[in-house]
Amino acid sequence: MERSYQFTLTVAVLLALTALAVAQTKKEYRFNVGAKATVSIINQYGAVIVRPSTGNYVLVNATAYSDKVEVDQTQSGNRIDVQSHLFDGATPENSRVDYEVQVPADASVTLRSTTGPLRAEKLHGDVEMEGSTATVEVRDISDSHVHVKTMNGPVTLNNIRDGHVEIDSVSGDVSLISVSGPLVRVSSTSGTIRYDGDFGYAGEYRFNSHSGDIDATIPADASVDVKAQSVKGKVQDDVPMQPKTHTSFLAREGSSFAGTINKAASSVWLRTFSGRIHLKKRQ
Amino acid sequence: MTCAEFQRELPDFLEEGGASELRAHLNVCPICSGLVASLQSIASEARFLQDSAEPSPRVWNSIEIALRREGLIRQPQPQVHRSLFPFLTRRWGYAAWFAPVAALLLVGSAFFLYQRPGKNHKIADNSHVQVMSAIPSIGTVSDASDEQLLQEVSARAPMMRTAYESNLRDVNAYIRDAQDSVNANPNDEEAQQALMDAYGQKSMIYEMALDRSLQ
Repeated sequence: MERSYQFTLTVAVLLALTALAVAQTKKEYRFNVGAKATVSIINQYGAVIVRPSTGNYVLVNATAYSDKVEVDQTQSGNRIDVQSHLFDGATPENSRVDYEVQVPADASVTLRSTTGPLRAEKLHGDVEMEGSTATVEVRDISDSHVHVKTMNGPVTLNNIRDGHVEIDSVSGDVSLISVSGPLVRVSSTSGTIRYDGDFGYAGEYRFNSHSGDIDATIPADASVDVKAQSVKGKVQDDVPMQPKTHTSFLAREGSSFAGTINKAASSVWLRTFSGRIHLKKRQ
Repeated sequence: MTCAEFQRELPDFLEEGGASELRAHLNVCPICSGLVASLQSIASEARFLQDSAEPSPRVWNSIEIALRREGLIRQPQPQVHRSLFPFLTRRWGYAAWFAPVAALLLVGSAFFLYQRPGKNHKIADNSHVQVMSAIPSIGTVSDASDEQLLQEVSARAPMMRTAYESNLRDVNAYIRDAQDSVNANPNDEEAQQALMDAYGQKSMIYEMALDRSLQ
């Protein structure tokens, strides 16, 4: 009796896997491009992962999970547009497409997906990513603009050098690790903003939130001019600094601080309404 | 003295008081005396207008940056010094910037709605008309508009409604707090910037809900 049950279960699982495999459609698209190509991937539901290619080509591997969605793609000179095209009856469950994309490292990419995840790495062209609930991850990017927008999707940036970075997330947590550049701006409503890095040299760093906490961890040799204010919350700093007496806000013990650390090369402005701000020294 | 002769002398009369002949005409002519009273009233009010506070250049810069980011301004405008809307700053003081902020929401959303009708045939044509009415009205945090937005989200992706609802609630609280700060300190640049950021967050939610990702 037990053997019969196991046999039935095994057959059912195999049938299910077979059905899934049949429903999956994998397609590959290859485009030859020149320097500084522009690549746009618009995907309602599913992952978009971008890595550098080894030559002047864009390679798109798309996996669709039903016949309710197909992949449209066009090339206009140096511009590649790829878009998931939903048919009648499409739902978030049956219209998922996963993209794995290789682009020349100097290409500019625009990625959008409601659910994500969205990921880009090892590029030095501009990167723009948007997804309402998508998890966004960007790493090993240099000399480029990185613009990210999410609603509640978490955002992680790791090893971004000389970047012009702008992150907007309503409630997703934002984590910046070793991120530096002339401009690094994070705007959030209720998500936590975490920064771990040295704030580079001669950059402007501006982190704003409404109720989300802001945590910044810096090494002892960081060179910053820092201002922090929480209108209704608490601020805490564990880093020795030279206090500033002239600030654009009314300084209040426990809810704001301003000072310089070392040569004050970069400007850092941390501001929240009701969140907590904590500036700490890396151990 | 006729009314025409009096009005030719009117500028001098207003500045210096005028000769006895002019004053005599004013005493007997209701038309000219009414005109003089109106002009003096306007001149008096104008003094108060000069004193009204203007938003900081940072506010206008932020609006300009946002418009440029959305593609509504494509070329750099070196001749712009303070404001994209100097006529507003002169006349309305700090209250004026609500209009461009709300306009940014409105125009930005409209732009995205019509920018990418796209290859996606899932959305009915008349949905544009429906969602346009969901844009918040000028200077308000409109619960009615938010509700319409949520209805659109429910129709397209029901599982997303809760997330949008929660985030709209948070952003509206942000706008209220930022607004309170601006009201308390109208000349506080940081408070104005925070309000801009708050509206920017709300604008982003509307963009995401009404445009590309869910279509």
